[in-house]
Amino acid sequence: MIRVAIQKKLGAFTLDVSFDSGAGVTALYGVSGAGKTSIVNAIAGLMRPDAGRIELDGVTVFDSTTRIFLPPERRGIGYVFQEDRLFPHLSVRRNLTYGRRRPGENLPQPSFDSVVDLLGLAPLLERLPHRLSGGEKQRVAIGRAVLSRPRLLLMDEPLANLDTARRGEILPFLERLCRDLSLPIVYVSHAIEEITRLADTLIVLDRGTVVAAGPVPAITARLDLSPLIDRGDAGTVLVGTIESHDTRYHLTTVAFDGGRLVVPAVGGPVGAALRLRIQARDVAIATSVPTGISTLNCLPGVISELGTGRQAHRDVQVNVGVPILARLTQRSISELGLEPGRQVTVLIKSVAVEITDRSPD
Amino acid sequence: MTILRAFRTAIFAAIVGLVSAPSGAQENVLVFAAASVAPAIRATAQDFTAKTGVTVTVSAAATSALAQQIIRGAPANIFISAHPRWMSVLADRGAIDATRQTALLGNELVLIAPNAHATPLDPAPGFAVRGALGPDGRLALGDPDHVPAGVYAKQALSALGVWSEVADRLAPAGDVIAALTFVARGEAPLGIVYRTDAAMSDAVSIVGAFPANTHDPIRYDAAPVTRNASAASDAFLLYLLSEAARPVFERFGFLFLPRT
Amino acid sequence: MLSPLEVEIVLLSLRVGFWAVLVGLPIAIAAAWLLARTSFPGKAVVDGVLHLPLVVPPVIVGYTLLVLLGRQGVIGAFLDNVFGISFAFNWKGAAVASGVMAFPLMVRAIRLSIEAIDRRIETAARTLGASPLRVFATITLPLALPGILSGTVLAFARSLGEFGATITFVSNIPGETRTLPLAVFSLMQVPGTEAAILRLVLISIAIALAALVVSEYLSRRVAARIRGTPS
Repeated sequence: MIRVAIQKKLGAFTLDVSFDSGAGVTALYGVSGAGKTSIVNAIAGLMRPDAGRIELDGVTVFDSTTRIFLPPERRGIGYVFQEDRLFPHLSVRRNLTYGRRRPGENLPQPSFDSVVDLLGLAPLLERLPHRLSGGEKQRVAIGRAVLSRPRLLLMDEPLANLDTARRGEILPFLERLCRDLSLPIVYVSHAIEEITRLADTLIVLDRGTVVAAGPVPAITARLDLSPLIDRGDAGTVLVGTIESHDTRYHLTTVAFDGGRLVVPAVGGPVGAALRLRIQARDVAIATSVPTGISTLNCLPGVISELGTGRQAHRDVQVNVGVPILARLTQRSISELGLEPGRQVTVLIKSVAVEITDRSPD
Repeated sequence: MTILRAFRTAIFAAIVGLVSAPSGAQENVLVFAAASVAPAIRATAQDFTAKTGVTVTVSAAATSALAQQIIRGAPANIFISAHPRWMSVLADRGAIDATRQTALLGNELVLIAPNAHATPLDPAPGFAVRGALGPDGRLALGDPDHVPAGVYAKQALSALGVWSEVADRLAPAGDVIAALTFVARGEAPLGIVYRTDAAMSDAVSIVGAFPANTHDPIRYDAAPVTRNASAASDAFLLYLLSEAARPVFERFGFLFLPRT
Repeated sequence: MLSPLEVEIVLLSLRVGFWAVLVGLPIAIAAAWLLARTSFPGKAVVDGVLHLPLVVPPVIVGYTLLVLLGRQGVIGAFLDNVFGISFAFNWKGAAVASGVMAFPLMVRAIRLSIEAIDRRIETAARTLGASPLRVFATITLPLALPGILSGTVLAFARSLGEFGATITFVSNIPGETRTLPLAVFSLMQVPGTEAAILRLVLISIAIALAALVVSEYLSRRVAARIRGTPS
């Protein structure tokens, strides 16, 4: 459990944030320079806020009024940086075990072998860092932080310095990690894809202040969060469970609070939890139930809100049981007469739905 | 490329002009003087400059070091040595004009101690110099291998029959002033320097004097350096040997040798 | 091959150089770390003072040592009375003189080496639970090793050549303080000793060259290990 309430003057603006975060993955999202890294550095003890208080698991690590400031090595945090920062003179194995001797009370004790397994590091153990690829180095950095028995894991855009292929390579490892470790994680990113795949809680930052905080699905469906919505790949995150599989057409039906979605086949037993992401631009709206149309997913709903218009497009939030975002042209909205309260059908192409596997802890 | 060549020639000529001293009209005199006599020479030089307007620069070091430098072409006009040996070496090589070599000053060898521990110790045959050094003290003196004051000291100690006792308890200094410094700082309980050196320091006291017959006569010789002879330096040399210089040297404690 | 006298001179020089560097090394590492990694009021002054032996005439350094560490010196008297340590006219004094003259070279080389280490790696180590001391011992020191090695050897070579401060502080005592440079100086004052001088000069050069070659080799081996490239 982390409680953060800090202020610090950061050049162009003042950082002033206050939030609590529990188990699971908490994502800090915002554009570059919004203050995300500063917050994480403050939690880690690498930056001293001007004022405030930080409490980790009931231990006060920083308090400006009582002048408490625990140095980084005594806070029990693991930190995965953007740059791997591996120790060049130590083998992968010795990098991984560097933090094992951290003095600590009842901190979780992940086993060396399980972490090596989880991150696929077994063939790399005796190598020196300079002989690893970027993706491999980052995996070692993650393993190293996890194995140092932290009470909290901080990750500052750990995939930012990797190319798309590497990122795609590591993301599954991260997913497994977040799922298997009972470790609170604070994950900084400006990549919405990572957040939607990994995070449970989303905190949105804009110029040093928290503009939204809450569960990922709820936050991603909001129309008013400029940093989120301005993206070309803005979309909604849904959680659901597998209802049935269609072996003939290789499809899976997923049940969620808004009904059912048919998606390309996903492995897993019936009842397994899933996380889905639907990009707003893959959602269409019809004012009458269409026939003779290829889209398999037609969900009835009511328009709850219209977003601000931005040049050609405008976002529409439709409530199908849970909110879903659709990105339409202003012309369509105008010609169809779409307005809050209107009953419509939401059309989502099966092939456009992104699926991540998110079994509960 | 004639412009370039003309440029190069001009630079070359300028360098040559700067480096080579015009012969004849030389207003500066450079004296190489043994460390122990340098202050007295400087005092005499001041009087000389006041009378004639000619600048005299005195460079002081151990006699041996100065001789080495003159052999290797140092631009000194006059050499004043603290020991005739080095003068002969230079004479053999024609570096100094032996026909104009003159005995200038005499001196006396004394035993000194730091003021706080100055008990009289008479340098007589077999005197208790080793005992006076204590369990781990050393006798400071100019290096007996090459510093004139050290050479005389070794002769005196040998003549008095105590050299073998103290030979392994020496602190051979680079020049006699350094030896004086060791005693003045209390680093060495005893030292052997010239009387004129002892007079220069408030921190040491003379505890005994070596009889003149225990060592070769201490003789400071002056001679012009052949290669760099000039009218001005000849004038200064004559001044040094004249009665006008006697009071200054005797004030420092030297024995003035030239008889006029 | 070498006369017993020459052997004595060489051994003394090696002994003086060895101790000068050995004692100076931990102090130099500490000073280099302070200058490279911390800031404090008066840092520029400390930096300047540490470099003084490089720019001040060696004889002045020797005289200063005499004043401070001699029998009557502020520090010297204390050391003598309390610990019975004396530097007067012995090889230890010669080692101190050499060590002081060579110290700035060691500090410079080590400081550059530490500054070249990415501080972010040190920060990462702290997040893994390492105290600043552990970071220094396990990260900074190993990565600075090439610079430490070359600084040490440079200092050793400088010690071998030290003259002015030595002769002013502890005089020229055969077997105690007559190191190679002082021995050469003594010979130079006596005419007709050119052959002996040449022998000693060649020995000096040989030792210095050997030291430099060994240091180059060691530095490269260590740097390669750190980088992991084949040496």
